Amino acid sequence: MTHPDLSGRPTDDEAPDESDLALLDEVRELFQAADPMPASLPDRIRFWLAVRDLEVEAARLCAEDGQAVLAVRGAEQSRTITFDSDSLTIMIRVEANQDGTVRIDGWLAPAQSRTIELRTVAETLTADADDGGRFAFRRVPRGTAQLVVRTGREPGRPGPAVVAPALVL
Amino acid sequence: MESRDSATAPAQPDRGARLEVLVDAARNGREDAIGQIVTELSPLLWQVARAAGLSASDAEDVLQTVWLRLITHLDAIHTSAALTAWLVTTTRREAWRVRGAGRRQIPVDQDGLAAVPDQRPGAEDLAVAADLRCELWEALGQLPPHCQELLRIVAFVPRPDYNVVAAQLGMPRGSIGPTRGRCLAKLRALLASSAEGNPDDASRPERQADR
Repeated sequence: MTHPDLSGRPTDDEAPDESDLALLDEVRELFQAADPMPASLPDRIRFWLAVRDLEVEAARLCAEDGQAVLAVRGAEQSRTITFDSDSLTIMIRVEANQDGTVRIDGWLAPAQSRTIELRTVAETLTADADDGGRFAFRRVPRGTAQLVVRTGREPGRPGPAVVAPALVL
Repeated sequence: MESRDSATAPAQPDRGARLEVLVDAARNGREDAIGQIVTELSPLLWQVARAAGLSASDAEDVLQTVWLRLITHLDAIHTSAALTAWLVTTTRREAWRVRGAGRRQIPVDQDGLAAVPDQRPGAEDLAVAADLRCELWEALGQLPPHCQELLRIVAFVPRPDYNVVAAQLGMPRGSIGPTRGRCLAKLRALLASSAEGNPDDASRPERQADR
C-alpha cells in the first residue's frame, strides 16, 4: 500500500504521489461519465449572477408542461412554462420556428404593461407587454436564455423587476 | 500572490495561479472574472453536491446559492486553495441543510455512490470504457461512504489544492474521518483483490476496521 497508516496518524500532510494522482484521475473520469454536471449550468449561473445587482424579485419555476427545462435542445416542439414571484406570474409558451429559432408568447398576470427583456447568450431582446399583459418574441436563438420583467412604468403601480431562472430554449 | 502553498503537487501549477489571478480580478469588481471561476469550478461543486445525496435540481439550487454567497466573501479569499476549500465546504454545508430540510425526500442512509443509483454508467458507457472502469466502479462502491465522498470530491479538486481540501474533508461532522491517503489505500486494495478474482477477502476487514 502506498500509505501505510500504522501509527494511526492522518496522512493528509503528505503530498499525493504519482500513482495517487493517476488513480484520482481515473476516479474523476468515471464520475464525469457517470454523473456529469449539466453542460449549461455554469452559463445559467453566470446569467443569474449578472442580474443580481438589480432590485429584483426572484421568480421560481413553478410548472412546466412538456419537456424538462433542461431538455436537450431541439428535442421538443412546444412547451409551456410558468414562473411565479410574489407580485407576478409569468407564463410563456415556446414554439419551434422552421428556421431553427423559437417563438415565445407570454402573458403576465395580473395583466399589466411592462417591458420584458430576454437575455440570450448573444444579445438581449426586449418586448413590451400590452395592457392585457401579452408579449411576444418572434425569433429567439436557441440556447440559454433568461427572462427579466422590468420595473413597472405606470405611476402608482411600479412593480419591482422580476427575474426568472435561466432556462435552455 | 506570495502566499502560494509550498506543498503543492507539481501537476497543473498554472491552474492554481490562474484562479488566484481571477479571484484578484473578481475582488476588484471584474464581472467576467467571477464568470470564469464559475465555469472553472462548478464541475467540482456539482460532484460535491451530488456526493452529499442531492437530486439534480437541488444540486443546481445549491450551486446558485453558493456562488452568490462567494461574492460577499471574496475579500477574505486570496489563494486558490482557500477559494477551493471555501467553495467545497460551503457547498457541503448548504447541501446538508437542503437535504436536512427534506424538500425532496432522499433517505438519509443513502450516501456517496448509493445516493445516485441511476447514475451507474450505462451499457454504452461501459462498452466504451470496458472492464477497467467497471472494476473501479465496483471497488468504489465497496468503500465506506465517507471514503466514497472524499475521493469523489478530491478527484475534482485542482491538484495544487488537494491537501487543503482533503484535510478539511477529513473532519466531517465532528468525527475523525478517513483521510485521503487511507481511502486511496483501501481503494487500491479492493482493486488488487478484484484483479485476483476474490474481492471479499480484502474488502471485509477493511470496511470493518473503518467503522
